[in-house]
Amino acid sequence: SAQNGLRSLRPPRSRRPRRNLIKEGRKRDTGHRTAPLRLLLQATNSGDSTTSPPSSPPSPTTAMSRRGDWVYENNGGTCVAIAGADYCVVAADTRLSVGYNILTREHSKICELADKCVIASSGFQGDIKALQKNLAARELLYQHQHNKRMSCPAMAQLLSNTLYYKRFFPYYAFNVLGGLDSEGKGCVYSYDAVGSYERTGYSAQGSGSTLIMPVLDNQLKSPSPLLVPARDAVTPLSESEAVDLVKDVFASATERDIYTVCFPLSVPRDHRLLLFIHLPLY
Amino acid sequence: MEIDEHVGCAMSGLIADARTLVEHARVETQNHRFSYGEPMTVESTTQAICDLALRFGEGEEESMSRPFGVSLLIAGHDENGPSLYYTDPSGTFWQCNAKAIGSGSEGADSSLQEQFNKELTLQEAETIALSILKQVMEEKVTPNNVDIAMVAPNYHLYTPAEVEAVIARL
Repeated sequence: SAQNGLRSLRPPRSRRPRRNLIKEGRKRDTGHRTAPLRLLLQATNSGDSTTSPPSSPPSPTTAMSRRGDWVYENNGGTCVAIAGADYCVVAADTRLSVGYNILTREHSKICELADKCVIASSGFQGDIKALQKNLAARELLYQHQHNKRMSCPAMAQLLSNTLYYKRFFPYYAFNVLGGLDSEGKGCVYSYDAVGSYERTGYSAQGSGSTLIMPVLDNQLKSPSPLLVPARDAVTPLSESEAVDLVKDVFASATERDIYTVCFPLSVPRDHRLLLFIHLPLY
Repeated sequence: MEIDEHVGCAMSGLIADARTLVEHARVETQNHRFSYGEPMTVESTTQAICDLALRFGEGEEESMSRPFGVSLLIAGHDENGPSLYYTDPSGTFWQCNAKAIGSGSEGADSSLQEQFNKELTLQEAETIALSILKQVMEEKVTPNNVDIAMVAPNYHLYTPAEVEAVIARL
Protein backbone atom coordinates (compact mmCIF):
# COMPACT_ATOMS: atom_id res chain seq x y z
CA SER A 1 0.00 0.00 0.00
CA ALA A 2 0.97 3.65 -0.26
CA GLN A 3 1.65 3.81 3.48
CA ASN A 4 4.08 0.87 3.29
CA GLY A 5 5.80 2.50 0.35
CA LEU A 6 6.30 5.70 2.35
CA ARG A 7 7.63 3.75 5.32
CA SER A 8 10.20 2.00 3.21
CA LEU A 9 11.62 5.38 2.12
CA ARG A 10 12.32 6.42 5.72
CA PRO A 11 15.74 5.48 7.16
CA PRO A 12 15.62 2.40 9.44
CA ARG A 13 15.29 3.24 13.13
CA SER A 14 18.03 1.93 15.38
CA ARG A 15 17.02 -0.91 17.71
CA ARG A 16 19.17 0.42 20.60
CA PRO A 17 17.63 2.98 22.97
CA ARG A 18 18.86 6.53 22.50
CA ARG A 19 21.57 7.52 24.99
CA ASN A 20 21.49 10.84 26.78
CA LEU A 21 25.16 11.74 26.42
CA ILE A 22 24.90 14.89 28.52
CA LYS A 23 23.55 13.00 31.53
CA GLU A 24 26.13 10.28 30.94
CA GLY A 25 28.93 12.81 30.85
CA ARG A 26 27.94 14.21 34.22
CA LYS A 27 27.84 10.75 35.79
CA ARG A 28 31.09 9.51 34.27
CA ASP A 29 34.33 10.31 36.05
CA THR A 30 35.55 12.89 33.53
CA GLY A 31 38.66 13.48 35.55
CA HIS A 32 40.15 10.11 34.83
CA ARG A 33 43.07 11.70 33.06
CA THR A 34 43.51 14.51 35.52
CA ALA A 35 43.24 12.39 38.64
CA PRO A 36 46.95 11.67 38.94
CA LEU A 37 47.56 15.44 38.90
CA ARG A 38 45.02 16.08 41.66
CA LEU A 39 46.58 13.46 43.84
CA LEU A 40 50.06 14.72 43.03
CA LEU A 41 49.12 18.18 44.22
CA GLN A 42 47.43 16.74 47.30
CA ALA A 43 50.53 14.78 48.15
CA THR A 44 52.80 17.79 47.83
CA ASN A 45 50.48 20.16 49.67
CA SER A 46 50.06 17.92 52.66
CA GLY A 47 53.81 17.84 53.29
CA ASP A 48 55.64 14.57 52.94
CA SER A 49 57.41 14.42 56.25
CA THR A 50 54.28 14.54 58.38
CA THR A 51 51.93 12.12 56.57
CA SER A 52 52.22 8.40 56.09
CA PRO A 53 54.64 7.22 53.39
CA PRO A 54 53.13 8.53 50.16
CA SER A 55 53.91 5.43 48.16
CA SER A 56 50.41 4.19 49.00
CA PRO A 57 47.31 6.13 47.91
CA PRO A 58 46.86 9.24 50.08
CA SER A 59 43.75 8.00 51.94
CA PRO A 60 41.35 5.09 51.56
CA THR A 61 38.40 7.36 51.01
CA THR A 62 39.51 9.19 47.89
CA ALA A 63 37.92 8.23 44.61
CA MET A 64 41.24 7.38 43.01
CA SER A 65 42.18 4.61 45.44
CA ARG A 66 38.97 2.84 44.55
CA ARG A 67 40.30 2.65 41.00
CA GLY A 68 43.50 0.99 42.24
CA ASP A 69 45.79 2.45 39.59
CA TRP A 70 48.01 4.85 41.52
CA VAL A 71 51.00 4.94 39.22
CA TYR A 72 53.43 7.18 41.10
CA GLU A 73 55.80 6.61 43.97
CA ASN A 74 57.88 9.10 45.90
CA ASN A 75 61.49 8.01 46.15
CA GLY A 76 62.36 10.95 48.38
CA GLY A 77 65.48 13.04 48.43
CA THR A 78 66.31 16.71 48.38
CA CYS A 79 67.95 18.95 45.82
CA VAL A 80 69.47 22.38 46.42
CA ALA A 81 71.05 24.93 44.13
CA ILE A 82 72.69 28.29 44.83
CA ALA A 83 73.76 30.82 42.19
CA GLY A 84 76.76 33.09 42.63
CA ALA A 85 78.38 35.83 40.59
CA ASP A 86 80.44 33.40 38.49
CA TYR A 87 79.53 29.95 39.82
CA CYS A 88 76.56 27.77 40.59
CA VAL A 89 76.42 25.03 43.22
CA VAL A 90 73.97 22.18 42.66
CA ALA A 91 73.69 19.51 45.34
CA ALA A 92 71.48 16.50 45.99
CA ASP A 93 71.54 13.67 48.49
CA THR A 94 71.99 10.11 47.25
CA ARG A 95 69.42 8.05 49.17
CA LEU A 96 66.71 6.27 47.20
CA SER A 97 63.81 5.13 49.36
CA VAL A 98 60.30 3.77 49.09
CA GLY A 99 58.02 4.00 52.09
CA TYR A 100 60.12 3.34 55.17
CA ASN A 101 62.70 1.31 53.27
CA ILE A 102 65.99 2.30 51.68
CA LEU A 103 66.55 0.99 48.16
CA THR A 104 70.08 2.27 47.75
CA ARG A 105 72.49 4.71 49.33
CA GLU A 106 74.41 5.63 46.22
CA HIS A 107 71.90 6.93 43.71
CA SER A 108 72.65 10.23 41.98
CA LYS A 109 69.79 12.61 41.33
CA ILE A 110 71.95 14.98 39.32
CA CYS A 111 72.39 14.92 35.55
CA GLU A 112 74.78 17.08 33.57
CA LEU A 113 72.82 18.15 30.49
CA ALA A 114 75.26 20.61 28.92
CA ASP A 115 78.64 22.00 29.80
CA LYS A 116 77.00 24.93 31.58
CA CYS A 117 73.77 23.32 32.71
CA VAL A 118 73.02 20.75 35.42
CA ILE A 119 69.67 19.42 36.58
CA ALA A 120 68.82 17.91 39.95
CA SER A 121 65.41 16.28 40.43
CA SER A 122 63.64 14.61 43.31
CA GLY A 123 60.38 12.70 43.31
CA PHE A 124 59.55 9.55 41.40
CA GLN A 125 62.76 8.15 39.99
CA GLY A 126 61.06 6.37 37.10
CA ASP A 127 59.77 9.67 35.77
CA ILE A 128 63.01 11.44 36.63
CA LYS A 129 65.13 9.01 34.65
CA ALA A 130 62.79 9.36 31.67
CA LEU A 131 62.76 13.15 31.92
CA GLN A 132 66.53 13.51 32.22
CA LYS A 133 67.08 11.09 29.34
CA ASN A 134 64.58 13.04 27.23
CA LEU A 135 66.32 16.34 27.97
CA ALA A 136 69.77 14.94 27.27
CA ALA A 137 68.58 13.62 23.92
CA ARG A 138 67.01 16.97 23.02
CA GLU A 139 70.25 18.71 23.96
CA LEU A 140 72.20 16.44 21.63
CA LEU A 141 69.77 17.16 18.78
CA TYR A 142 70.11 20.88 19.44
CA GLN A 143 73.88 20.55 19.37
CA HIS A 144 73.78 18.90 15.97
CA GLN A 145 71.24 21.29 14.51
CA HIS A 146 72.63 24.58 15.76
CA ASN A 147 76.32 23.78 16.10
CA LYS A 148 76.50 24.91 19.72
CA ARG A 149 75.63 23.53 23.14
CA MET A 150 72.42 24.54 24.80
CA SER A 151 72.63 27.47 27.16
CA CYS A 152 71.11 27.21 30.62
CA PRO A 153 68.22 29.64 29.89
CA ALA A 154 67.37 27.68 26.74
CA MET A 155 67.34 24.41 28.68
CA ALA A 156 65.16 26.08 31.30
CA GLN A 157 62.53 26.92 28.69
CA LEU A 158 62.78 23.45 27.16
CA LEU A 159 62.28 21.77 30.53
CA SER A 160 59.23 23.92 31.22
CA ASN A 161 57.71 22.96 27.87
CA THR A 162 58.55 19.28 28.35
CA LEU A 163 56.83 19.24 31.73
CA TYR A 164 53.75 21.09 30.51
CA TYR A 165 53.48 18.74 27.54
CA LYS A 166 52.40 16.15 30.08
CA ARG A 167 50.05 18.49 31.92
CA PHE A 168 47.36 15.84 32.32
CA PHE A 169 49.62 12.96 33.33
CA PRO A 170 52.63 14.73 34.79
CA TYR A 171 56.20 13.76 35.43
CA TYR A 172 56.38 13.33 39.21
CA ALA A 173 59.61 15.27 39.30
CA PHE A 174 60.50 18.36 41.28
CA ASN A 175 63.39 19.92 39.46
CA VAL A 176 66.09 22.41 40.08
CA LEU A 177 68.13 23.54 37.09
CA GLY A 178 71.44 25.21 37.77
CA GLY A 179 74.22 26.57 35.62
CA LEU A 180 75.85 29.59 34.05
CA ASP A 181 74.02 31.90 31.67
CA SER A 182 75.51 33.35 28.50
CA GLU A 183 77.23 36.13 30.49
CA GLY A 184 78.87 33.65 32.85
CA LYS A 185 76.69 34.53 35.85
CA GLY A 186 75.21 31.80 37.98
CA CYS A 187 71.55 31.00 37.40
CA VAL A 188 69.11 28.72 39.19
CA TYR A 189 65.66 27.83 37.88
CA SER A 190 63.17 25.99 40.06
CA TYR A 191 60.10 24.16 38.82
CA ASP A 192 56.87 22.60 39.96
CA ALA A 193 55.61 19.29 38.57
CA VAL A 194 53.90 20.84 35.54
CA GLY A 195 56.50 23.28 34.33
CA SER A 196 55.89 26.58 36.05
CA TYR A 197 59.36 28.04 36.50
CA GLU A 198 61.19 31.06 37.76
CA ARG A 199 64.80 32.17 37.70
CA THR A 200 65.96 32.64 41.28
CA GLY A 201 69.19 33.03 43.22
CA TYR A 202 68.75 29.77 45.15
CA SER A 203 66.26 26.96 45.48
CA ALA A 204 65.49 23.72 47.29
CA GLN A 205 63.11 21.00 46.10
CA GLY A 206 62.12 17.60 47.40
CA SER A 207 61.26 16.08 50.75
CA GLY A 208 63.60 18.28 52.75
CA SER A 209 62.78 21.49 50.91
CA THR A 210 60.46 22.83 53.60
CA LEU A 211 63.27 22.41 56.11
CA ILE A 212 65.97 23.93 53.89
CA MET A 213 64.27 26.89 52.18
CA PRO A 214 63.77 28.96 55.36
CA VAL A 215 67.45 28.57 56.20
CA LEU A 216 68.49 29.65 52.70
CA ASP A 217 66.06 32.58 52.86
CA ASN A 218 67.64 33.61 56.12
CA GLN A 219 71.23 33.26 54.90
CA LEU A 220 70.93 34.48 51.32
CA LYS A 221 68.19 37.07 51.66
CA SER A 222 66.96 37.28 48.06
CA PRO A 223 65.54 40.63 46.90
CA SER A 224 61.86 40.54 46.03
CA PRO A 225 61.11 39.95 42.34
CA LEU A 226 58.62 42.82 42.56
CA LEU A 227 61.32 45.44 43.04
CA VAL A 228 61.80 48.04 40.34
CA PRO A 229 64.50 48.34 38.98
CA ALA A 230 65.09 44.57 39.09
CA ARG A 231 67.83 43.56 41.48
CA ASP A 232 70.20 40.67 40.96
CA ALA A 233 69.26 37.60 42.95
CA VAL A 234 72.69 35.97 42.88
CA THR A 235 74.46 35.78 46.17
CA PRO A 236 77.62 37.80 46.87
CA LEU A 237 79.07 34.83 48.78
CA SER A 238 82.22 33.20 47.47
CA GLU A 239 82.13 29.70 46.01
CA SER A 240 83.63 28.00 49.07
CA GLU A 241 81.25 29.84 51.40
CA ALA A 242 78.31 28.71 49.29
CA VAL A 243 79.54 25.10 49.35
CA ASP A 244 79.88 25.26 53.13
CA LEU A 245 76.38 26.66 53.40
CA VAL A 246 75.04 23.82 51.28
CA LYS A 247 76.76 21.24 53.43
CA ASP A 248 75.39 22.83 56.61
CA VAL A 249 71.91 23.02 55.19
CA PHE A 250 71.92 19.34 54.27
CA ALA A 251 73.20 18.50 57.73
CA SER A 252 70.22 20.34 59.23
CA ALA A 253 67.71 18.70 56.94
CA THR A 254 69.16 15.28 57.69
CA GLU A 255 68.37 15.70 61.39
CA ARG A 256 64.63 15.71 60.82
CA ASP A 257 63.84 14.36 57.35
CA ILE A 258 64.01 10.58 57.04
CA TYR A 259 64.31 10.73 53.27
CA THR A 260 67.40 12.95 53.27
CA VAL A 261 70.83 12.12 54.58
CA CYS A 262 74.32 13.38 54.18
CA PHE A 263 77.73 12.37 55.41
CA PRO A 264 80.44 14.97 55.87
CA LEU A 265 82.97 13.67 53.33
CA SER A 266 85.16 15.90 51.25
CA VAL A 267 83.40 16.57 48.00
CA PRO A 268 84.87 15.90 44.57
CA ARG A 269 85.32 18.98 42.44
CA ASP A 270 83.99 18.52 38.90
CA HIS A 271 84.34 21.91 37.20
CA ARG A 272 86.21 25.05 38.08
CA LEU A 273 83.19 27.26 37.87
CA LEU A 274 80.36 24.76 38.20
CA LEU A 275 80.42 22.52 41.22
CA PHE A 276 77.94 19.80 41.84
CA ILE A 277 78.12 17.82 44.98
CA HIS A 278 76.93 14.27 45.37
CA LEU A 279 76.59 13.68 49.08
CA PRO A 280 76.86 9.93 49.75
CA LEU A 281 75.32 8.66 52.93
CA TYR A 282 76.42 5.73 55.02
CA MET B 1 60.28 40.63 4.21
CA GLU B 2 60.78 40.21 7.92
CA ILE B 3 61.27 36.68 9.22
CA ASP B 4 61.98 37.53 12.85
CA GLU B 5 63.09 40.58 14.77
CA HIS B 6 66.69 39.85 13.91
CA VAL B 7 66.37 38.24 10.45
CA GLY B 8 65.00 39.56 7.17
CA CYS B 9 65.12 38.40 3.59
CA ALA B 10 64.97 39.61 0.00
CA MET B 11 63.58 37.44 -2.81
CA SER B 12 63.93 37.04 -6.52
CA GLY B 13 61.94 34.72 -8.77
CA LEU B 14 58.43 33.39 -8.19
CA ILE B 15 57.27 35.65 -5.41
CA ALA B 16 54.39 33.36 -4.45
CA ASP B 17 56.85 30.55 -3.74
CA ALA B 18 58.99 32.96 -1.75
CA ARG B 19 56.08 33.79 0.51
CA THR B 20 55.61 30.12 1.34
CA LEU B 21 59.27 29.82 2.29
CA VAL B 22 59.19 32.99 4.37
CA GLU B 23 56.04 31.81 6.16
CA HIS B 24 57.73 28.52 6.99
CA ALA B 25 60.81 30.35 8.27
CA ARG B 26 58.64 32.56 10.47
CA VAL B 27 56.97 29.54 12.02
CA GLU B 28 60.32 27.85 12.61
CA THR B 29 61.85 30.90 14.30
CA GLN B 30 58.86 31.35 16.56
CA ASN B 31 58.87 27.64 17.44
CA HIS B 32 62.47 28.03 18.40
CA ARG B 33 61.69 31.01 20.59
CA PHE B 34 58.88 29.05 22.23
CA SER B 35 60.95 25.95 22.88
CA TYR B 36 64.25 27.52 23.85
CA GLY B 37 63.46 31.11 24.85
CA GLU B 38 66.13 32.52 22.54
CA PRO B 39 66.36 33.84 18.95
CA MET B 40 67.30 31.29 16.28
CA THR B 41 70.71 31.76 14.67
CA VAL B 42 70.69 33.04 11.09
CA GLU B 43 72.37 29.88 9.81
CA SER B 44 69.74 27.66 11.43
CA THR B 45 66.99 29.82 9.94
CA THR B 46 68.58 29.48 6.50
CA GLN B 47 68.91 25.75 7.05
CA ALA B 48 65.21 25.51 7.91
CA ILE B 49 64.30 27.33 4.67
CA CYS B 50 66.59 25.12 2.63
CA ASP B 51 65.17 21.96 4.18
CA LEU B 52 61.81 22.99 2.80
CA ALA B 53 63.24 23.92 -0.60
CA LEU B 54 64.96 20.54 -0.84
CA ARG B 55 61.80 18.53 -0.19
CA PHE B 56 59.63 20.77 -2.43
CA GLY B 57 57.39 21.34 0.59
CA GLU B 58 56.50 19.50 3.77
CA GLY B 59 54.48 16.37 4.40
CA GLU B 60 52.64 14.16 1.93
CA GLU B 61 49.72 16.39 1.04
CA GLU B 62 51.35 19.79 0.90
CA SER B 63 54.54 18.99 -0.98
CA MET B 64 54.77 20.28 -4.51
CA SER B 65 55.84 18.41 -7.63
CA ARG B 66 58.29 21.12 -8.64
CA PRO B 67 61.04 23.03 -6.81
CA PHE B 68 60.42 26.43 -5.25
CA GLY B 69 61.41 28.81 -8.04
CA VAL B 70 63.01 31.46 -5.91
CA SER B 71 66.40 32.64 -4.66
CA LEU B 72 66.63 34.35 -1.32
CA LEU B 73 69.08 36.64 0.37
CA ILE B 74 68.73 36.11 4.12
CA ALA B 75 70.26 38.79 6.28
CA GLY B 76 70.40 38.66 10.03
CA HIS B 77 72.18 39.46 13.24
CA ASP B 78 72.90 36.85 15.96
CA GLU B 79 75.54 36.13 18.58
CA ASN B 80 78.12 35.69 15.80
CA GLY B 81 77.47 39.20 14.49
CA PRO B 82 75.80 40.19 11.20
CA SER B 83 75.65 37.61 8.41
CA LEU B 84 74.25 37.19 4.90
CA TYR B 85 73.20 33.91 3.28
CA TYR B 86 72.23 33.25 -0.30
CA THR B 87 69.92 30.31 -1.16
CA ASP B 88 68.85 28.90 -4.50
CA PRO B 89 66.06 26.50 -5.58
CA SER B 90 68.24 23.44 -5.09
CA GLY B 91 68.26 24.03 -1.33
CA THR B 92 71.95 24.89 -1.17
CA PHE B 93 73.03 27.93 0.75
CA TRP B 94 76.21 29.95 0.89
CA GLN B 95 77.36 32.57 3.32
CA CYS B 96 78.45 35.78 1.58
CA ASN B 97 79.71 39.22 2.40
CA ALA B 98 77.86 40.75 -0.55
CA LYS B 99 75.58 39.28 -3.19
CA ALA B 100 73.15 40.31 -5.88
CA ILE B 101 70.28 38.15 -7.18
CA GLY B 102 67.83 38.62 -10.02
CA SER B 103 67.95 39.51 -13.66
CA GLY B 104 70.67 42.11 -13.35
CA SER B 105 72.69 40.04 -10.88
CA GLU B 106 75.77 39.37 -13.02
CA GLY B 107 76.58 43.00 -13.58
CA ALA B 108 75.65 43.86 -10.03
CA ASP B 109 77.82 41.06 -8.63
CA SER B 110 80.90 42.28 -10.46
CA SER B 111 80.28 45.87 -9.29
CA LEU B 112 79.93 44.58 -5.73
CA GLN B 113 83.23 42.74 -6.08
CA GLU B 114 84.93 46.00 -6.97
CA GLN B 115 83.24 48.25 -4.44
CA PHE B 116 82.86 46.05 -1.34
CA ASN B 117 85.33 46.05 1.50
CA LYS B 118 85.00 44.87 5.08
CA GLU B 119 85.28 48.31 6.65
CA LEU B 120 82.17 49.81 5.08
CA THR B 121 79.91 51.74 7.39
CA LEU B 122 76.14 51.36 7.20
CA GLN B 123 75.76 54.68 5.38
CA GLU B 124 78.40 53.81 2.77
CA ALA B 125 76.81 50.41 2.27
CA GLU B 126 73.41 52.01 1.67
CA THR B 127 74.87 54.32 -0.96
CA ILE B 128 76.81 51.56 -2.72
CA ALA B 129 73.84 49.19 -2.78
CA LEU B 130 71.53 51.81 -4.21
CA SER B 131 74.02 53.02 -6.81
CA ILE B 132 74.56 49.47 -8.07
CA LEU B 133 70.80 48.98 -8.19
CA LYS B 134 70.51 52.19 -10.19
CA GLN B 135 72.98 50.84 -12.73
CA VAL B 136 70.93 47.71 -13.42
CA MET B 137 67.47 49.25 -13.19
CA GLU B 138 65.85 50.49 -16.34
CA GLU B 139 63.69 53.18 -14.74
CA LYS B 140 64.85 56.04 -12.59
CA VAL B 141 65.32 55.27 -8.89
CA THR B 142 62.55 56.90 -6.82
CA PRO B 143 61.35 56.36 -3.22
CA ASN B 144 58.33 54.50 -4.53
CA ASN B 145 59.95 51.92 -6.76
CA VAL B 146 62.85 50.94 -4.51
CA ASP B 147 62.77 49.19 -1.10
CA ILE B 148 65.63 49.23 1.34
CA ALA B 149 65.77 47.19 4.54
CA MET B 150 68.50 46.70 7.07
CA VAL B 151 69.15 44.41 10.04
CA ALA B 152 71.25 46.38 12.49
CA PRO B 153 70.69 44.60 14.89
CA ASN B 154 66.90 44.58 14.37
CA TYR B 155 65.07 44.40 11.08
CA HIS B 156 63.87 47.72 9.74
CA LEU B 157 62.22 48.50 6.41
CA TYR B 158 62.94 52.05 5.32
CA THR B 159 60.08 54.50 4.93
CA PRO B 160 59.87 56.42 1.63
CA ALA B 161 61.33 59.43 3.43
CA GLU B 162 64.39 57.46 4.52
CA VAL B 163 64.82 56.04 1.00
CA GLU B 164 64.61 59.59 -0.32
CA ALA B 165 67.46 60.55 2.00
CA VAL B 166 69.65 57.76 0.62
CA ILE B 167 68.79 58.67 -2.98
CA ALA B 168 69.79 62.25 -2.28
CA ARG B 169 73.29 61.02 -1.37
CA LEU B 170 73.81 59.14 -4.64
